[in-house]
Amino acid sequence: MSISIVLLPCTGRIEEAVLLRAFEKGADGVMVIGCLEGDCHYVNGNIRARARVGRVAGILETIGFGPERVRMYNLSAGEGAAFARFTGEFVDQVQTLGPSPINLARGQQNQESTEEVAAT
Amino acid sequence: MTQSVNKQQSPGVTGAVLVIGGGIGGMQSALDLAEAGFRVYLVESAPAIGGKMAQLDKTFPTNDCSMCIVSPKLVEVGRHRNIELLTHSEVLGLDGQAGNFTARIAQHARYVDADKCTGCGLCELACPVTRISWFAEPPLPDEKKKRPKARDKTVLPGVAPVSPGDMAVWTFTVDAERCSRCGACFRACLHGAVSWQKKEIAVINQDRCIGCGACYAACPEQFQAITVDQAPDLDKSLGAALYARSQEIIKQRGGRLRGDCIRCGLCVLMCRKVMEIGALTMVEEGIEVGRDICQVCGACASVCPVEFLEVEWLTDKPVRPLLNAFNEGLNLRKPVNILYPQAVPRVPVIDAVSCVRLNTGACGTCQSVCGVGAIDYDQVERQREITIGSVIFSPGIEVFDARMRGEFGYGVYKNVVTSIEFERLLSASGPTSGSVVRPGDGKHPRTIAWIQCVGSRDHSCNRDYCSSVCCMYAAKEAFIAREHDSSIEPTIFYIDQRSFGKNFDRYINRVQENQVRLVRAMVSRVFEDPLTGDLELRYADDSGAVVAEVFDLVVLSVGLQVSEKNKELAGRLGIELDGFGFARTDGFTPLAASRPGVFVSGACNGPKDIPETVSEASGAAQAAAVGIAGARGSQLVRQELPPEKVVEPDEELRIGVFVCHCGSNIASVVDVAAVADYARSLPHVVFADHPLYTCSQDSVERIRDLIGEHNLNRVVVSACSPRTHEPLFMSTLRQAGINKYFFDMANIRDQCSWVHPLEPEKATEKAKRLMRMAVANVSQAEPLSELEFAVEPSLLVIGGGVAGMSAAVEAAGQGFTVYLVEQQEELGGQVRQLQRSLDGRKFAPYLESLRQRVLGNERIRVFTKAALIEQNGFVGSFDSEIMTASGGSRTIRHGATLVATGAREYRPALYGLGERDEVVTQTDLEAILAREPRRVVGWSSIVMLQCAGSRCSEHLDYCSRNCCNQAVKNSLHLKQLNPDIRIDVLYRDMRCYGLFELEYRRARLAGVNFIRFDPQQHTPQVGVAGERLDIVAFDPSIRRPVTLRPDLLVLSTGLVPNDTEELATMLRIPRNEHNFFIEAHAKLRPVDLASEGVFLAGTAHGPKNVSETIVQAQAAVARAATILAKDKLTLSGVFSVVDPAHCAVCLTCVRACPYGVPVITEEHTAYINPALCQGCGICVAECPAKTITLGRFRDDNLYAKLGSYQSAEPIAEPRSA
Repeated sequence: MSISIVLLPCTGRIEEAVLLRAFEKGADGVMVIGCLEGDCHYVNGNIRARARVGRVAGILETIGFGPERVRMYNLSAGEGAAFARFTGEFVDQVQTLGPSPINLARGQQNQESTEEVAAT
Repeated sequence: MTQSVNKQQSPGVTGAVLVIGGGIGGMQSALDLAEAGFRVYLVESAPAIGGKMAQLDKTFPTNDCSMCIVSPKLVEVGRHRNIELLTHSEVLGLDGQAGNFTARIAQHARYVDADKCTGCGLCELACPVTRISWFAEPPLPDEKKKRPKARDKTVLPGVAPVSPGDMAVWTFTVDAERCSRCGACFRACLHGAVSWQKKEIAVINQDRCIGCGACYAACPEQFQAITVDQAPDLDKSLGAALYARSQEIIKQRGGRLRGDCIRCGLCVLMCRKVMEIGALTMVEEGIEVGRDICQVCGACASVCPVEFLEVEWLTDKPVRPLLNAFNEGLNLRKPVNILYPQAVPRVPVIDAVSCVRLNTGACGTCQSVCGVGAIDYDQVERQREITIGSVIFSPGIEVFDARMRGEFGYGVYKNVVTSIEFERLLSASGPTSGSVVRPGDGKHPRTIAWIQCVGSRDHSCNRDYCSSVCCMYAAKEAFIAREHDSSIEPTIFYIDQRSFGKNFDRYINRVQENQVRLVRAMVSRVFEDPLTGDLELRYADDSGAVVAEVFDLVVLSVGLQVSEKNKELAGRLGIELDGFGFARTDGFTPLAASRPGVFVSGACNGPKDIPETVSEASGAAQAAAVGIAGARGSQLVRQELPPEKVVEPDEELRIGVFVCHCGSNIASVVDVAAVADYARSLPHVVFADHPLYTCSQDSVERIRDLIGEHNLNRVVVSACSPRTHEPLFMSTLRQAGINKYFFDMANIRDQCSWVHPLEPEKATEKAKRLMRMAVANVSQAEPLSELEFAVEPSLLVIGGGVAGMSAAVEAAGQGFTVYLVEQQEELGGQVRQLQRSLDGRKFAPYLESLRQRVLGNERIRVFTKAALIEQNGFVGSFDSEIMTASGGSRTIRHGATLVATGAREYRPALYGLGERDEVVTQTDLEAILAREPRRVVGWSSIVMLQCAGSRCSEHLDYCSRNCCNQAVKNSLHLKQLNPDIRIDVLYRDMRCYGLFELEYRRARLAGVNFIRFDPQQHTPQVGVAGERLDIVAFDPSIRRPVTLRPDLLVLSTGLVPNDTEELATMLRIPRNEHNFFIEAHAKLRPVDLASEGVFLAGTAHGPKNVSETIVQAQAAVARAATILAKDKLTLSGVFSVVDPAHCAVCLTCVRACPYGVPVITEEHTAYINPALCQGCGICVAECPAKTITLGRFRDDNLYAKLGSYQSAEPIAEPRSA
């Protein structure tokens, strides 16, 4: 399994459609990584993102993907080790869930997950 | 009308500044000056800028990662066209006078050509040397160089079973023509792979050869009859080939696992053939060492893939590790070394002391691996002269040498470290990758003790001053240590808790809540248990009993001091220092050194923390600029750009892709040629290449040419981090005449080669994917224009106290128009209530002269009894409406705003203040001392009560910073007027930070009693007995209550900010819960406010003294000058745009924007002012009509990236403007 990072100005830029598009295009899981809460470079973008991630988790649950395939993380730019740890945890979690139903339906076994990262 | 202040030319002065010291202070000065139109020469003695801040892990009181916040500054300084960096350099002398100096600078030999070097770091990886060698005496000129012969030999035993074909082997063959038939190879081979008979040519049997190279090492130098094949990098040099093979074996074995000798033979070849020593030989039992001829360079051990060799076993000579100074000697470095990973310039320096090539002529590995030919062993020191108008001296400090306090065992006990060493242990990029371990045995410590004031407040070693930062950094280190490992139990032993800065006390509370134990005690000694390495601390507790407590690790909070080197440098510059080596300055011109035209900033001007250093740095930039403002712009380097090509609507997409090798940083893992091949198969990619170093000077020029040659209109670079390199490539695009936003970068170094070194195929696949996504993204790129706005070169100053008036005079000195608005009838502010500065000088004459300078300056327009009632516009062009004294209003246009609204003394109804005549505040006392000094003679006893209404939740929940110093100052004044007077100061912590500690000591020597109280245990009781005040306090030194009946009770009541509620709302600038304004960044932007173009100075920011206020005023003007000195401002092209066609005027964006930027226009549509937009994209995500777009991050961009995630999908028609 491997990850691809999509750079954003702030996690506040993401919307539900962007996260769902990642699944549609083959991601088995999506991590959203923003600044620490209370320490957002753009005041409150990460708080908005958290709510959106919650809504997408709800949608994923409804359509039978499982809400565990999307998750919001908060990190500061200096926490490389924590980033690696979170990524490892999340990849393990997605690996347990297996390929997303979309990938299964397409018969593709590409074990990959996309990840979105806020850059400031 | 916009007037220009840029074009002034004054032949009399030089529009350039020399900044000495490239720490955070020097960098800030350099940036402020360069942005304000001056040329800057930044001289730094270290190989890279960054200073002490780059070494720190986190910063107090926000726990920001130090490197994260300093590295953007490093990049900015490194890339600034008008800052010339002279690193690894020294100022030799300074001639001339203010306005026209000539400085002589020595640029030490780096042995690396900085213009060619790309900073890939390959030289450092390949360099085999890790110790300071004991080089043999060089041969005399006519003497032949002889190989040393070993007399003292021992064998290191231990051989792992090996068979041919085990490892990445080289093939050895005998060159029949060169073979001397001596049989040396036959004798050397331990595997029977060489067949030889007397007078016959040797033959190597490839089936039995294990590829150890013993034959090759043994073949006499004059014949060189053994040839090597299948050896990658041998074309470069043998050293390079040995390194490559070592890496290959490590990779094959799945890591560098310690074990027996695997007969790779690398050490033997390294010693004999690269280092030209020959101290090692392979023998049956292991490796034989010539102990006497070993030069102890460590090269053998560094190429050994199994850590079989330990340098200490090889020789009896003392092993001299080459310690990494950046990591405070906690780990080793190579002679060729890049100071730290984020270093600017990222160019190594070769250490002439330890480099084998520079000392014996052998080796030369680094030169052979350098792909751009940057290594130059013949480089020599260069001297040059520069002409400048002003000089800023900001060389910073070093830490106290803890060995001078022998009782703590530093340098003897391994588990006693200094605080800066502990920073490196905490740092994720430090020697232990952020794991807190004991240097003695690598164990994780559970109990850690910090001992404060090591080399501070210590008369016995001539460090009488307080270092100002240790209380806070110790608290931070303890806090962060627990964050790393929650089982750690930290204890801090301190004298006074000097958390006197903004939000510092709150931080200390947080630290205590996080189970950091604070013990007020002086540790007398540290003893080590030699068996366990644990440390026993002895101290006297509150009850006076001596306590012994054992800790796993002891951290000494070492103080700051001026290095001898910098004292000498100050001597060469001709500036005066005090007895400790700090610059001598005047309290009313706190940044001017004794030599006119030379200014000081940072800790060399007295110990201070980062934000104060940054304030001083900006302030010094201002001071340096005033004298040469007339020559602004005269020394600038300007760049001429070709006109930008206009994109035609039907223009075909022509994408160019560059996949970087980064030497071998990327290419050793990722198959870059395959990635480039793959790129060519993608739709619209018309050109792809894989340069060795995409960012090198020649490569960048080539990209520029290729853009023209192939008519490229989009470019993708697959290389390293966009954070460091995107600006370079974007400006290359612009230089080639195409819009710089037609660009994207895929980070295949960090995200592929660095994280997947053991899976090259997968890493290559991932590199293809990331590149493909970048190509998809760039296919959707739009040309973005960077808007330009005219700047009005005038400054609005709100508040006419010392901060406001100083700022007005400073700004006018730079040639800007100033509007000074003061609420009161008279200028002067709070200082009008005060009498003397902390150095005992009267304020009145100073204030009067400042007032005259304001009123007499034709560039300053003063409005008293006036107020700002409305402000519109944005940075560079604000329109402000001012209500004047007459009740009328005036609108003025200005480019920047400075808030200096000040603070006033707090007067709580406490202890009878306002009711009893004999209860006064410190300010009242000062007034009495000034006006009725005779009254003092009648007093026999005075009590001062500190923190009266401060540091408590009912009144002011913060420390007012000045009161302790004020109490000391007034006590000394009282003692001067009446030496017999008894003065008792009741205090919680005497916060006489920095050099004020000297005054505190003077007061104690003068007989002032200082009685500490702890509000949780014994708050002093103030009552009345008869007609007299009756105060009962508990004296901890005698551990009993004392009764005081003074003639006067003086309360130290602290400062409260003036009312600024309306102003804060109007300017949209946040305040904290104590109503002080919140600066844009607590560490690095101390005088900037969150709204662009709005700045802050003085006590409106937080309590501070007059000198600190003047510094901030200067700093704020320097920051404003970076705007006002420009004719126009260029804003980022990435901002949100509303398409009015679909705007439903639902106000969602208006509510969502964290900066309140969107407004509804008269045309009934939302409008986002590009000058105010911060580019976060929150409104884009929120807009229900999806009618807002953000350049570079439009849905099209994101969907294109996601769409090409699995495979290249047909690219949608490119959008064009």
